[in-house]
Amino acid sequence: MEYPEDGRDRRIAQLRRGVLELAVMGVLYHGRHYGYSLIRVLSERGSISLKEGTIYPILARLDRDGLVGSEWVESAQGPPRKYYTLTSSGRQLFDELSQELDSLVSLVQQNWKTQEQSESAGKKLVVRKG
Amino acid sequence: MNDYPPVVAKIAKDYLERVKAQLRLVPARERDEFLREIESHLYEAYRNTPIDDDVARILAVLRNFGEPAEVVAGRLPGTMMRSGAKRNLPLYVVGGIFIALFGIPLGFGGLSVLVGLLLALAGMVAAFYATAGSILLAGAMFTLLGLSRILLPGLFDRLVELGFIQMGGPVAEFLDHFSPSDQGVFMLLFACVLVAFGLGMLWLGRYIFRGPRFLSGLLFDWIRRLAHTVRRKLGRENREAPPRVGQVSFANGK
Repeated sequence: MEYPEDGRDRRIAQLRRGVLELAVMGVLYHGRHYGYSLIRVLSERGSISLKEGTIYPILARLDRDGLVGSEWVESAQGPPRKYYTLTSSGRQLFDELSQELDSLVSLVQQNWKTQEQSESAGKKLVVRKG
Repeated sequence: MNDYPPVVAKIAKDYLERVKAQLRLVPARERDEFLREIESHLYEAYRNTPIDDDVARILAVLRNFGEPAEVVAGRLPGTMMRSGAKRNLPLYVVGGIFIALFGIPLGFGGLSVLVGLLLALAGMVAAFYATAGSILLAGAMFTLLGLSRILLPGLFDRLVELGFIQMGGPVAEFLDHFSPSDQGVFMLLFACVLVAFGLGMLWLGRYIFRGPRFLSGLLFDWIRRLAHTVRRKLGRENREAPPRVGQVSFANGK
């Protein structure tokens, strides 16, 4: 069945937007990063393509909400870098959100077809019995 | 601070200026920090992008980084980002204040005058028809009186004695000169005049009713045309608005 191309792209973008913030928190959970290194980790490990600039509004939001801390560190090569670390409240929130995501993923990945078949088989038995 | 070739430095600076222009309503300290961070990112990305040609390299970096609109979207209040187009917020605020101070009261005043006019017109029409109805009723009453005076003169006298019919003054003095049947004929003639007058009013009412209907139609048509003109002007204003945020032509490299 055909579906509109822009509708697919929009839905993918929505899905990514929601998960990207969590992914950023996940990377910072395991160590401090500056913007560029954070994107490299996300791109290499997650194999997702994203506009690099979109990460900064996310970091700004997390910073504003007190979920990450930041500090400028001088670099030997070029301009200084702004490093981000996850705060304790950020860690706590990440744990909760991860659990939530796990339950959502398991909901999506459930083998509905198998379950449906077993249910219909059960119904047939009931009919025969009647 | 960085070791860009001159042309690359120019392209990067231009991009940062573009982002800065989009962030002019963000507090200066926050804006400068954001720009520093982007500058740092662009330098890192440039250093790590394996393309020989300098210009192609910086353009690839900027392409990967995204349009300024996408980059600044999360830094601006939601009301300022509408389909990627940034509105001139101070002008909107001033416009809003003016509308609140003058437009709304004037609008309410105008609406009140309009409603008042329509109500007055409706009242006039209602009064006209009420008058016509009263005259027709009076005509019917005089017809009954005239017929009763001709056919049942005793009953008429009895009703006068009981006070149900009160007739005095010059009219009574005039009618006393005639016999009861003639009095009845006079009453019937007067009733005919009244009925004719009432029916004439109803006939005229058809035209009188058209007047207010025409006036109200004219008023509503004028309001509709005014709203259409305003909507068209607003639409034109939107089309002539500054280009969408972040329409950066990387190919130009300016």
